[in-house]
Amino acid sequence: MLTRLKTQVPLFSMNSYTKLREKLKLSGLSLASTHSHVIRLGRHSRHNSKMAVCIAVIAKENYPLFIRSVPVQNELKFHYTVHTSLDVVEEKISAVGKAMADQRELYLGLLYPTEDYKVYGYVTNSKVKFVIVVDSSNTSLRDNEIRSMFRKLHNSFTDVMCNPFYNPGDTIQSKAFDSIVSAMMVQAS
Amino acid sequence: MSIPDYMQCAEDHQTVLVVVQPVGIVPEDEFFRIYKRITSVAQVSIRDSQRNLYIRYRHHYLPENNEWGDFQTHRKVVGLISVTTCGSAKEWPQTSDRFHCQKDVFGATLYDSRLLVFGLQGEIAEQQRTDVAFYPSYDDCPDVEKRVEDFVESIFIVLESKRLDRATDKSGDKIPLLCVPFEKKDFVGLDTDSRHYKKRCQGRMRKHVGDLCLQAGMLQDALVHYHMAVELLRSVNDFLWLGAALEGLCSASVIFHYPGGTAGKASGREPSLAHGQGQAADAGKRHRPGALTANGISADTSSEIGRAKNCLGPEDIIEKYKEAISYYGKYKNAGVIELEACVKAVRVLAIQKRAMEASEFLQNAVYINLGQLSEEEKIQRYSILSELYHLIGFHRKSAFFKRVAAMQCVAPTIPEPGWRACYKLLLETLSGYSLCLDPKDFSKGSHRGWAAVQVRLLHELVYASRRMGNPGLSVRHLSFLLQTMLDLLSDQEKKEVTQSLENYTSKCPGGMEVLTLPDGLKLPPVPLSKLPIVRSVKLLDLPVSLRPHKQKGLLENNMSSKSPFIYSPIIMHTRGEERTKKIEFRWVQGDVCEVQLMVYNPMPFELRVEHMGLLTSGVEFEALPAALSLPAESGLYPVTLVGVPRTAGNINISGYHTSVFGVTSDCLLDGLPSVRTSGCVVEVIPSLPRLQLSTSLPRPFSSRLSSSVSVQLFNGETQQLTITLENIGSEDLETLEVTSKTCNTKEKLFGEFLSWDLEEAVSQLPLKPGQSVTLTVNVKVRLDFSGGENLLQDLNDDGISVTGLPISSPLRQVLKPRAETKPLGSESSKTDYNHVKTLEAVMTFKYSGGAGKMEGYYRDLSLGVHVDVEPSVFFTRVSTLPATRTRQCHLLLDVFNSTEHELMVSANNNQDLVLHPSECQRMAIQVAKFDFHTLPQPDQEAVRYTNPKLLEEERLHAQASMISSTLGSLSVSLSLSLSLCSSSLDVVVNGKPCDCDIIADCKVGDAVPLEVKLTNRSKNAVGPFALTVVPFQDYQNGVQNYDLQDAVTFIGSNTFYIDMVKPTENSACMGALLFLYTGDFYLNIKFQDDSAGQGKELPPSWFGLPSVHIKALEAPIEAGA
Repeated sequence: MLTRLKTQVPLFSMNSYTKLREKLKLSGLSLASTHSHVIRLGRHSRHNSKMAVCIAVIAKENYPLFIRSVPVQNELKFHYTVHTSLDVVEEKISAVGKAMADQRELYLGLLYPTEDYKVYGYVTNSKVKFVIVVDSSNTSLRDNEIRSMFRKLHNSFTDVMCNPFYNPGDTIQSKAFDSIVSAMMVQAS
Repeated sequence: MSIPDYMQCAEDHQTVLVVVQPVGIVPEDEFFRIYKRITSVAQVSIRDSQRNLYIRYRHHYLPENNEWGDFQTHRKVVGLISVTTCGSAKEWPQTSDRFHCQKDVFGATLYDSRLLVFGLQGEIAEQQRTDVAFYPSYDDCPDVEKRVEDFVESIFIVLESKRLDRATDKSGDKIPLLCVPFEKKDFVGLDTDSRHYKKRCQGRMRKHVGDLCLQAGMLQDALVHYHMAVELLRSVNDFLWLGAALEGLCSASVIFHYPGGTAGKASGREPSLAHGQGQAADAGKRHRPGALTANGISADTSSEIGRAKNCLGPEDIIEKYKEAISYYGKYKNAGVIELEACVKAVRVLAIQKRAMEASEFLQNAVYINLGQLSEEEKIQRYSILSELYHLIGFHRKSAFFKRVAAMQCVAPTIPEPGWRACYKLLLETLSGYSLCLDPKDFSKGSHRGWAAVQVRLLHELVYASRRMGNPGLSVRHLSFLLQTMLDLLSDQEKKEVTQSLENYTSKCPGGMEVLTLPDGLKLPPVPLSKLPIVRSVKLLDLPVSLRPHKQKGLLENNMSSKSPFIYSPIIMHTRGEERTKKIEFRWVQGDVCEVQLMVYNPMPFELRVEHMGLLTSGVEFEALPAALSLPAESGLYPVTLVGVPRTAGNINISGYHTSVFGVTSDCLLDGLPSVRTSGCVVEVIPSLPRLQLSTSLPRPFSSRLSSSVSVQLFNGETQQLTITLENIGSEDLETLEVTSKTCNTKEKLFGEFLSWDLEEAVSQLPLKPGQSVTLTVNVKVRLDFSGGENLLQDLNDDGISVTGLPISSPLRQVLKPRAETKPLGSESSKTDYNHVKTLEAVMTFKYSGGAGKMEGYYRDLSLGVHVDVEPSVFFTRVSTLPATRTRQCHLLLDVFNSTEHELMVSANNNQDLVLHPSECQRMAIQVAKFDFHTLPQPDQEAVRYTNPKLLEEERLHAQASMISSTLGSLSVSLSLSLSLCSSSLDVVVNGKPCDCDIIADCKVGDAVPLEVKLTNRSKNAVGPFALTVVPFQDYQNGVQNYDLQDAVTFIGSNTFYIDMVKPTENSACMGALLFLYTGDFYLNIKFQDDSAGQGKELPPSWFGLPSVHIKALEAPIEAGA
């Protein structure tokens, strides 16, 4: 048990990010806009992976209904990533909720970038959250594509909810939903 | 400058830094006691100026950081207070030297210093120095605070003078270039006369003056100076100092806007560095002065001027912070400054409740590289990140970093891993992962949460607590893991977890006590209610024979006491669930009582549960624990838990106790909503005696009765059954009643089936425990087997003609129709008669005694008696033959042996008759006729057949003995009808009654008086009759001569008329005969029913008519003379 415990602790490798920051400094960008520009910076390193690495559906009460990630061996890491992203989701919901509760945008945009991944969020009107984690190196992905992924996910989720045999609140075990998710996930190359 | 002070906040910019340090040997606790008193003077209002000076005390400060003092003056050490112990005057010079050495460390920046000497008292009279104070001891120093205040005031004077000096320094003198340590070499050889350079110098100086103004409490002046500095520095692209100026602006604005301070509550300032070091040291290190108070600023009149112009708004503060941080970010060596600025900005944002932006600052702070960090610094950094995330409400993120910090505590690179600190930090993360260590929170429905993450965290807790050397905690956490996350673990994980649990419990068995951690956190016990899972709990009634019954009369008394109403339509709906419902049956004190649990094992391997017992309340209860082993993934499995109530009252089964993998758990049913139960409260009544029954006969099977015996008997056989009742309880047996009931009522049973004599048994009461009493019961079977119709037919054609009737019995009508329609004489019908009949009876022993008897309880013990009756002999046909005497007759019995054995039949004093199997023989028994009135009336069926000639039952005992069998003698009872005339005729000849055998003598020529008397023995009136007497002679060769007119003469009529004869009355006719010749004469008496007038002759057998034999003798000679 100890070995697992040690190896899976996500620690930051300070160096990799410092390099990125160096680039940022050169481009003279202010910190506030750092995150949204990261995407464009790494355009040269195009992966053959094209889509999400982790997709999660989280219930209104903030427990996972569905979570799947592509590198299966390090699933726990994504659990942590998605779990911590909920802080941001909640913050965003509460911030938007104050402004205009009825006509708010479901798409929450980039929640936060980590070293290797970018986390996007989406909240349905019933406060069910979708989280998509994308590889940071995957720069080909536009905001619009992310949005359309969320829309697809939402449609499929609606289908799941329409299933009379599905109890809202249970983990999702639908094959149809599974295949939609699989289609969005990176094909391990 | 490499070590950031994560505790900094914006208002620290207005403080002056004072270092308090021990000199020489000072006991740590004494030092911190003094330190605490010194730090209480955190804010001093200066006389005359209405301004406040804020002091930040440190007992440890890197001189390296001091070098940044020009950059931000609050980083500059301006005061030094040394604390020292001096035992004697001799030591004084040495101590003094040390103090001066210390002063030199911060010498360049110090405004003033003080030395507090403890232990000496005025002996040093050399010179009265202002910077030294003497105290006799650490306890006796009342004016420390006063001295510190004086000291602060002196600092203020220097500060004020410096401020004025710099602020007014507008002469053409060359302004020195202030720079940070790493810049110094950059400016070597720079043109100092350039306009650019001058501007830079001016800008930096403005900024510096701004700092001084802020420290001196002149907020508005500071703002003005900062603004000017920003403009100057921006124009020369001096980014580092521009950043500092912007930050100064922000700090001043924050101080203005948030007089309460941005550091939050004191809790936020608690030592986050939990690395197992001295807590006191941490407490001292982290202490900071209180925040600005509102009146501190408003007192300054200048604050009103230009407020709108100079002071930044809340939005602007953040913008400027962002800008400042981005400038700092350009310099690798200013990492600490940048980091601290981030932290300060986050604190401001936290107050503004702008979590999103704060998280961006924090995100940035995460990536600031400070070069090689020591492990300790890493831990500190993660901890503070966690704390800040917590501050802005990102609890998950906070938990994440706290966990990272915890892992850092035990990183493999650390020579001495701080497992204790790791464990403590991990515990703090629990709330972030919405995990509560109380298993009760999980009992509601299925688990909902971040299972994978939570499982990991629990594993880490387990491991950390084990390494900490506290296996008890490991066991508790592992039990919790098993209990709450069982559904989420894979089979492999289940195996691993249970294995390690077993390992730990071998060192430290898990129990139900609450574990309290040193910091007060309580770990509630974790009952493993899922190992095994209990589905239902059912209290079982006692076995039938042990169930107590209440005497009827007493029961009613109890009922009436409960409610004044006999019946109420209002049902009391008890809110409490079914658990509290009382159960109908009762338990008995001292008797083993059972509770059945339906359990199943959810584990993929065999589960061994030990010491499984019941938890009860209300009554003293001795639970008898059981051990069970459940197969892997078993289905529902019934488990019976037993126990003995030791006192009477209401017992509540509140739960059960198990020991699994070395963890003992008390599972209360209240906490297990998934358990079905039909009630858990049952009444325990006082103890009753207990009887055990044993019999002399074998017990072939146990039926719903507690016991039963079975025996096979031939019809008519009698067997003795000895019943032994042993008192196996602990109470005296005081009363005993025996009753019996025959279950099978279809068969016609003659006589008493079971008979006993209780007197002897009762005389032995009370029966002490361990004693026994015996009771002998006679089992007697007498059944009517005369159902075989075709058998009778078979036997009928033997050619013997008798005046008799086949046995007519009601049973012949209820025979199966199948048997009747069968072709006669077929082989299969042979077996029909051989059927076995069954008799069943229940003997009930009702007994009581002891305390239970006082309460009106008793117990029933029943014994089933099952008898298979086999037919023995049949009397297939019964007829009578008149005997030679009219008062007697021969009873002719066709006896059929239906057994497979040879048997011998003996009747009364007759000789024995040997019968082979399936042999039929006729036997004749001479019996006396009898008066039927003395016997019970036969049933109505018989009356219909034979109107006046009623057949009466007579019992005939025939002794039969088996020859070829060892079964011994059996008594056969026969129900048989014998005929006796309902009306009898008595003929009296010559004054002598006449019967068949008797020959009446008379003399020829004499008149022989003849009297015929009819006696009616029936219940009905008979008659009228016409009676004719006809004499005849029998030649004994079949010829009867009725032509006797010349030989016999009637005197009078030979026909008599008898009127109606009432029951039991008689009527007599008198006549006379005159025999004219000698000879043997017979009289034939004929009856004619005269009632209808048709003169129908009635058969003589109706009356059992005697034949009258008269012998006429020669008259004496003398008569002829």
